[in-house]
Parts: sequence; C-alpha cells; structure tokens
Amino acid sequence: MTAEGGVQYSKIAEIKGPLVVVDDVENAAFDELVEVETTEGERRLGKVLEVGNGKAIVQVFEGTTGLSISGTNAKFVGKVMEMPVSKEVLGRVFDGLGRPKDGLPDPIADKFVDINGEPMNPEQREYPKDFIQTGVSVIDGLMTLVRGQKLPIFSGSGMSHNLLAAQIARQASVVGTDDDFAVVFAAIGVQYSEAEYFRRSLEESGALKRSVLFLNTADDPAIERIITPRVALTVAEHLAFDLGMHVLVVITDMTNYAEALREISAAREEVPGRKGYPGYLYTDLSTLYERAGKLNGRKGSVTQVPILSMPSDDITHPIPDLTGYITEGQIVVGRDLFRQGVYPPINILSSLSRLMKDGIGEGSTRDDHSEVSNQVYDAYSRSQEVRALAGIVGKAGLTEIDLKYLELGDTFEKEFLTQATDENRTIEETLALMWKIVSKLPKNEITKIKDKHVEKYYKEE
Amino acid sequence: MASHSALESTIDKILSNTEQSILENIRSGLDDSQQNLDNAIPKLESEYDKIISDGEKEADKIAKQITGSSDIEARNKQLMALEDGVNKVFSQALDQITNSDRSGDYSNLIKTLIEEATQILGTSDILISTNAKDKDVVQSVLSQFSGAELTSDTFDCLGGIRVKSKDGTMTFDNTLDARIDRLKPLIRKEIAAKFGVGI
Repeated sequence: MTAEGGVQYSKIAEIKGPLVVVDDVENAAFDELVEVETTEGERRLGKVLEVGNGKAIVQVFEGTTGLSISGTNAKFVGKVMEMPVSKEVLGRVFDGLGRPKDGLPDPIADKFVDINGEPMNPEQREYPKDFIQTGVSVIDGLMTLVRGQKLPIFSGSGMSHNLLAAQIARQASVVGTDDDFAVVFAAIGVQYSEAEYFRRSLEESGALKRSVLFLNTADDPAIERIITPRVALTVAEHLAFDLGMHVLVVITDMTNYAEALREISAAREEVPGRKGYPGYLYTDLSTLYERAGKLNGRKGSVTQVPILSMPSDDITHPIPDLTGYITEGQIVVGRDLFRQGVYPPINILSSLSRLMKDGIGEGSTRDDHSEVSNQVYDAYSRSQEVRALAGIVGKAGLTEIDLKYLELGDTFEKEFLTQATDENRTIEETLALMWKIVSKLPKNEITKIKDKHVEKYYKEE
Repeated sequence: MASHSALESTIDKILSNTEQSILENIRSGLDDSQQNLDNAIPKLESEYDKIISDGEKEADKIAKQITGSSDIEARNKQLMALEDGVNKVFSQALDQITNSDRSGDYSNLIKTLIEEATQILGTSDILISTNAKDKDVVQSVLSQFSGAELTSDTFDCLGGIRVKSKDGTMTFDNTLDARIDRLKPLIRKEIAAKFGVGI
C-alpha cells in the first residue's frame, strides 16, 4: 500500500448491465480495483475485466443502478482488491465485499492481501489425512471430512442444507490436537433470515469467537457474489498458513456464485456454454476450490465445504457436474429423505468422501471404522433393495433375513441418520451407533468386518 | 369318624400342596424379580451414564455459550475503545496539519505533489486547484511547471492539490486528505501498536 492514489477518468463510454466501459484510459491493469463515483458522490467498488485500445471494462460490484454516462467518474486505484487480514477478524461479521457488518470498526490489519490468492505450489502440497469431527454422525461415520479436503454438499432448493451448514460450522473441531481451529463462513446470496440465522446460531453457541462470517444477502448486488468466496478464502489462508490454524471454510450457496458469473458473462456478450454458463466455469470454480489444502512445513490447513443447490435436483447440471470434477467426493442431500422429515437428509448411497480412507482408522478415529462403515453402506444398500421389493410383493413375501435388512434400514434412518440440529455426537458415539445397526444382522451376514472387531463390538439384540 | 379323618387328611394334603405351590410361585417370582433387577442394573447404569453425559454436554454447551459471548462482548468493547483512541490521535494530527506553518518546506511538498501528479497523468497540461490557504504557495511554485495553471476555484481540504488534465478527462487527487485516507489503514496499525495492540 502506498500513498499514491489513482487517476480518475470521467469519460464513460457505455454502461451495460453490471459493466461500465471507460474511455481514454491509460495504464490500467487487469483486475485493478476501481472506485466508481456517482453524480451524487456515492462510491462503488469495481474491478477491471478487460483493458486495451484506450478502453477499460469495469465490473461494478455494487451494480450500476442509478449510474449515468455523464457525471460518473471512475477512479483506477492502482492496486488489486485487497482484504485486511489479522487474527482480529475472528468473531467478526463482514458483508460480501469484506466490509464490517457488525457495527465495529475495520479490523487492524497485519497485512493487506490480494483476494485472488496465490496458487498453491502443487509440489508443496501435503496429502490430507487428519480427521475433522463435524459432530454429524452420517458425515463423521460414513463420509469423513479430512483436514485440507474439499468436500461439497449437493442439495436442492428448499432443503435443509443451510441448517446442516450452520451445524457443521458450530460443531466442527479437530480432535487429538491442541492446534487452533477456526471456521470461515461465506454466505452467498442467502435470504436475510438465513443470514441472521447463521449469525445468531454461531453467536448463541459461543462458536462466533472462533469464526468469521461473510454475509452477502439476496438483496445485495449479484456481482458482489463473485467477491464473497474470494475474501473468505483470503482470510482462511491467512489464518491457516500465516497463523497455523486449521480452518474450515463453509460456502453456501455456490449456485448463486455461478449465476452471478453467468450474469457478467452475458453482459460481456461471451459465447455461452452449457445452460448459459460461461465456458470457463470449470476454470473459475477451480480457482476457488483449489484454495483448499495443506502445505509442507506449514502447520495449518484450509478445508472447504462448499454447498450448492442443484437446480431441479439435477446432479448433471453444470454446477454440480463441474464441481464434482474438482472436489474430492460429495455429500448428497436427498429429496425423499427430506420429505420423510429426516434431518440431515443425506443420501449416503450417492455420497462419498474420496479422502476418508486416509483420515480414519487407528490413531485417527478407531481401527474398526473403515470396516464398520463399509458394512453399514452395504447393509443399507441391501435394505433399500428389500424396501423396493416389499413395495411390490408386500412384507409377507419377504424372507426372514430380508425382514432383518428392512428393520436395519429403518433403524439406520431413525437412529443414526436422524440427529437434532443441536446434537453434537463424538466419533465414539457415532461408531457405537454404527455397531448398533450392524448388530441388527446375524453374524453370518457380517462379511466386511474382521472377526476380532465383531467379537469386540457386536452386541446381539 | 373314619370319614372325618379321611376328609381332614385330604384337606391337609390340599393345604400342603397349595402351600407348596404358593411357596414355589413366591420363590419363582422372587427369582424372576431378582433376574429382572439384575438385568435392569446395566440398563440403569447405562441410562444413568447417558443422563450424566447428556448433562455434562449440556453444561459444556452452556459454558461455551456464556464464555463465548462474554469474550466477544469484551473484545468488542476493547475494539471500540481502541478505535476511539486511534480516532483521537488522528483528529489531533489533522488539527496539527491544518494549523501548520505554510512557509519553508511546505512549498517543496507542493512541488513534489505537482511533479507526482503530472507524472501519473502523463501530461503537463494541467489545471491545479487547492484550498484558499495554500493558493499562494501553489502559485509560487507554478512557474516551474510549464502548461500548469491554477484555477480560481478553491475547495476545502487540509492541504495539497487536485490536478485535472486540461481536456477534463482525467483527475488526480493529491490532497493531503486523499493521501491520509489511502494510508489510514497502515497508520491505524502503527497507532494501535503504540497502545500495545497488534504488536
């Protein structure tokens, strides 16, 4: 940061959607921060998207409503957008552009960091293998989250993903270490009531002091949504790699982010890709998701749980589709379970944590975790087949063992999957519940668990 | 008599059998109860453990809520107090700048500000405006910049200049206010450090 300011240009050639085209511009740089001043003296932030032939295309974060060609000035600040970072941001609530929203002054910054971050050197990346306890049984037991992982939640409109996001943010912890843990929560385009719920929920649980909230509400300009995950990740990287904390970043809802990207792309008249999203959607999403990880020789880690609502519950939609290519698994929220009133309504058969195998077992969770988890998956899958069969032939047509699987499926959904929003289960409690489910089966049906574990934990009812 | 004795014997037998049966039932009932009690003990113990563990969890949750919110409240008060202090330092510094003597080195400062502005705008055909207090100082150094003119308009600022290209398309704000604004986040950190915060 220097005392030198930027040049203010007053020749606005065109205002188109969220974009302002400034004429006769010299020495502007790509991604440079721009202050757009309205005729009333109001200042809005923007950034340079394109520059050349004496013109600069500026994307105005707070929208162009009320701007006119005459009387509008664009000041090129001479730097990219930066976020002030320090440990002081913990316990604070910011808006989608990183400005305080809690009535407190700007944090005293240790430094100012470019919100686009620096790409992690792939060679310096450390393989994620340490367990994060979310306190949600189905996640901890069957799709374990690992420090440095990026594990998205695929949900649908109106489902309880935000409750789940808040619960994870409140309860998440690292076990077996004294290292500091922090949660960075970025809400993108959420309703005011949801934003309030997130804030209150963290405040009332006492988790706010180890959290940072970035709230971009639905009535904030859509373009701000491009910035929200970036400022959140910038803070997360500082907490993780400069201050050595383990940081969990929860971002909801990435669909709103992608839609803001589509809005800009349409305004720039770019050739649209699938469903009108820009062709670079994959690349753009990767610039966010790839900011998760661990670095060799650094103590901290950034773990990401981005949440996206699939339009029409369509998992082949470009947003979940491209997200799935980049991330390491997915947690799928199921409509059927949601309709049954199950919370969290996670469909385990479509869900998977690709890094789970390295984060569980002896020394992390417990030596039987992997086997009991495989057995539960297998048994629940069979129970679903039996349930479908019972729908056709009726319960009377089922064999005794089929009936046991049917009962197991019910127990799984009622006792293991179902959990109160304020119920924080330890990994031991989760494993005990998994064994309770497995114990519904006769011993000869247990094929995926070693005998020594069966002897130790199996409890016939 | 003989029939009486047979009857009594039958009655005694029945009574004895009944007594045996009742005693047997009582014994079996006692055993069952004992068994039930023995079975219930682990359940009770596990229920007891669960209640205690739930209670401990709830107490832990409430303790976290209380300490969390009081920590946040205390921190917020500290932040506000710090901000108050920083603002006081700022306002005193600004007062000092406003009342500072415009003679001596100040003309060199104005010269540097004009040089910087012409360099950034990329032209020396410029219009310079300033506040009423600095007008004379600006006028005195203007001869060193060919193409530069001082406008008759003045505006309120601590000091320094605002430069506009003669075609009106570019403006560069090089007032002391603008420079302080740009450096304020860094200056705040320095001031906070003097208060012993963020060192």
